[in-house]
Amino acid sequence: MPAKSVYICCDTGCTAAGGGLLASAFAAKLKNSGAACDLAPAAKRTGCHGLCEFGPVVRVEPENISYYQVRPEDVDEIYEKTIAGDEVIERLLYKDPFGKQFKTAAENPFYIPQVKIALRNVGEIDPLDMEEAVARGVYQALAKALEMPPEDIVDEMEASGLRGRGGAGFPTGKKWRYCAASKSDIKYVVCNCDEGDPGAFMDRSILEGDPHSVLEGIAIAAKAVGARQGFIYVRDEYEGAVRHAAAAIAAAQARGVLGRNILGSDMDFDIKVIRGGGAFVCGEETALINSIEGRTGEPRVKPPYPASSGLWGKPTLINNVETFANVAAILHSGAQKFREIGTRNSPGTKVFCLVGKIRRTGLIEVPMGITLRRIVYDIGGGMMNSRPFKAIQTGGPSGGCIPEALLDIEVDFDSLAEAGGMMGSGGMIVMDSCTCMVEFAQYYVKFLSGESCGKCTPCREGLRKLDAILTDIREGKGRLSDIDLMEDICQTMRKASLCGLGKSAPNPVLTALRHFRAEYVEHVEEKYCRAGVCPSLSAFHINFDACTGCSVCARNCPAAAIEGVKKKPHQINQSKCVQCGACRDVCQFNAVTAGRR
Amino acid sequence: MFITIDGKPCECAEGEFVLAAALRNGIDIPRLCHHAALPNQASCRLCLVEIMENGVKHVTASCSYPVSEGIEVVTRSQELQKLRSGVLALLKERAPASPEISALCEKFGVAGDKRFFRDTNERCVMCGLCTAACKLLGASAISAAFRGVDKKISTPFGEMSPACIGCGACARVCPCGAIPLTESGGAREIWGKSFELVRCPACGKPFATREELAFLAKKFALPPEFKGLCRECQRKETVKKMPELRNAIAAYPSGSAK
Ligand SMILES: Cc1cc2nc3c(=O)[nH]c(=O)nc-3n(C[C@H](O)[C@H](O)[C@H](O)COP(=O)(O)O)c2cc1C
Ligand code: SF4
Ligand code: SF4
Ligand code: FES
Repeated sequence: MPAKSVYICCDTGCTAAGGGLLASAFAAKLKNSGAACDLAPAAKRTGCHGLCEFGPVVRVEPENISYYQVRPEDVDEIYEKTIAGDEVIERLLYKDPFGKQFKTAAENPFYIPQVKIALRNVGEIDPLDMEEAVARGVYQALAKALEMPPEDIVDEMEASGLRGRGGAGFPTGKKWRYCAASKSDIKYVVCNCDEGDPGAFMDRSILEGDPHSVLEGIAIAAKAVGARQGFIYVRDEYEGAVRHAAAAIAAAQARGVLGRNILGSDMDFDIKVIRGGGAFVCGEETALINSIEGRTGEPRVKPPYPASSGLWGKPTLINNVETFANVAAILHSGAQKFREIGTRNSPGTKVFCLVGKIRRTGLIEVPMGITLRRIVYDIGGGMMNSRPFKAIQTGGPSGGCIPEALLDIEVDFDSLAEAGGMMGSGGMIVMDSCTCMVEFAQYYVKFLSGESCGKCTPCREGLRKLDAILTDIREGKGRLSDIDLMEDICQTMRKASLCGLGKSAPNPVLTALRHFRAEYVEHVEEKYCRAGVCPSLSAFHINFDACTGCSVCARNCPAAAIEGVKKKPHQINQSKCVQCGACRDVCQFNAVTAGRR
Repeated sequence: MFITIDGKPCECAEGEFVLAAALRNGIDIPRLCHHAALPNQASCRLCLVEIMENGVKHVTASCSYPVSEGIEVVTRSQELQKLRSGVLALLKERAPASPEISALCEKFGVAGDKRFFRDTNERCVMCGLCTAACKLLGASAISAAFRGVDKKISTPFGEMSPACIGCGACARVCPCGAIPLTESGGAREIWGKSFELVRCPACGKPFATREELAFLAKKFALPPEFKGLCRECQRKETVKKMPELRNAIAAYPSGSAK
């Protein structure tokens, strides 16, 4: 009987769904029967498989069978049928909305368009086991780098065309060259895992699922620029990432991969984990530097840039987690190979967190140049419910919304920026017709109002003013001139703010105005919010013809505002309705619709 | 090194900032959070200029932008005027009660919109000079608290600060008159704390708080008999010592003055 292994996702998402308990149950089961069967290795706790929504995910190799939403009660059956035997348990396979089942991940439409570089080991190895990382080739690129002259490493990075995955897409090789050219006896390398965008978890998944590849990337960068100390700045909420990074560092130190004379070379290099307080602005590199130094997390004026004067005034190279995760892969297979994937100006892949009103959400890695439409419809499986697509938000609070008409643009740094969006660090939120684009803009304005450091006038006061105007519009007190006024404020913020937060903060507002201006005008002139989101400008109604009288809405209404007898059309008592939209969400017959007040 | 400001070639030194170079050359740039004795705050964003560097034009705050060979600075343009007006309007709406801001608005023909006034009694624009002064002094009794739109200047937890020595440096550097400092009956009140004022040993006028003098004595390891002098008497004292000082300077070996 061939050796089989079981991969149980124990990333934060699946752990929350019970992955940890499941892994223990598997371990116990395999231990008890292990001697009899030829099972090796036992159950493996891995990082994220991507389809967190249907977690916990369990994969049985070598058949590559993936089971979803597995409970500890299922362990015995999986053992008997799939591990000891060769039977597939159909009940646990992924089933698409049309009932089609997929035995392996390779057949699953969620995975088909994906290409994994940054996530190459995530979900494949136990992140706490350094041997597994080494067995998959981690640290080979570092060994190679240690033999190379630093300029050659920088040349290779530059040739690869890799652009920073932290948001702005700055050419990584160029940044390394600047830092390498800065003259100083002390230099630092910092890995940015602050990841403050709402809805984003790419960097956490990488650091948590494959910490050694990140360490390897950091060490290669250190060799290239001449640094001897590295830092990984992780928000403290990322308990798993903090723990796995620290454990990986300890293991690497024990194996001589970090510390003195790494891998027997003449280079000393070590890495320390710094836990951040979780402020969005601390993802901005100079605020991050202040935070590491123990100062208030406020951005510094640039220039000087960190590459010439960063941590404690020393040249500091800052890159994002995903950028570092790409480094070793590039050095391993060569810049040319990397360039074969992606577009001319944005080679390689990008990891996204795909969330929102689609059928399949999760962590994905796609080649640059893929269209948004493929991401939404092929990977994401299209829209949930029967509501039409309205917009996709990319790039988090610094990005923007992209409408249906632009779904065929090819995703890369430049095309997203052109559409007014932004690659950002990689959040993608799909919105349907029940999203109000005024509320959408206000959500981000409010988020940033609290997350801006508050130091400079345009950002702090501009956000406050935008919020006031958006509130007025949503309450039916807006004026047409407010739309132009918002555009003016946005221009001031964009040009006059001190740091990238304030400069990019207008993007959600500007893109909403660019692509959905009519909706703003409708709010102002007709006092109507067609999405049914702004309570003063809309009301929910039950369509008598469509209502079957099932009462599910009444049961879910928190305000007990829905009246009616079973099997007869129901009605909303407008004076009691708090307009939460719960009825619309639960109605199976689309009988609840938003309309005018 | 040479840069041009509004077409005028200006010589400047490595490490100098554009605003300082402009002021030295008689070119005025509106500003609020700049103070020659304090570190750059770069927070008000009024001192915006256009900079042409390596063929690329960008807008930036002149107070904190270091000069480099050959850059071309423009301090007046239509775009800058628009941006400055935008920033000023935001400042006015933030601090409608500050006469200094109102005066600036008048000068630049900016009104600000009452609809967006945050607090009609507010004077502070959050420039940060007060906390910078307090920190430089070494007391660090006040700092910015909270973040985002709620950021404000405060003593720790908004309570009386034990570290405050009542020197009033914060109130003096504040460009908006936002920090109330009152003196009456030989006492000074600031940040909710009352300080007894010590009289000048020369002229007898109340001039400093006891805590302030003790702080100075400690910081500079002054002898126990140190009593201090009010500003007026200090100046007189200096004038008296002038000939002595002049002789001392003359006696200084040339070339070693660095
Ligand atoms: C408001 C703000 C938040 C940011 N947050 C992050 C973040 O969470 N993670 C990140 O890697 N970069 C973030 N950045 C970008 C960093 O400043 C920096 O450019 C990046 O870490 C550089 O790495 P890269 O070149 O590999 O992209 C942020 C920038 C701004 C302006
Ligand atoms: S732009 Fe916003 S976050 Fe950046 S320094 Fe100004 S207030 Fe702070
Ligand atoms: S109190 Fe005055 S000095 Fe302090 S931040 Fe406010 S405006 Fe600036
Ligand atoms: S004087 Fe330059 S930003 Fe305030």
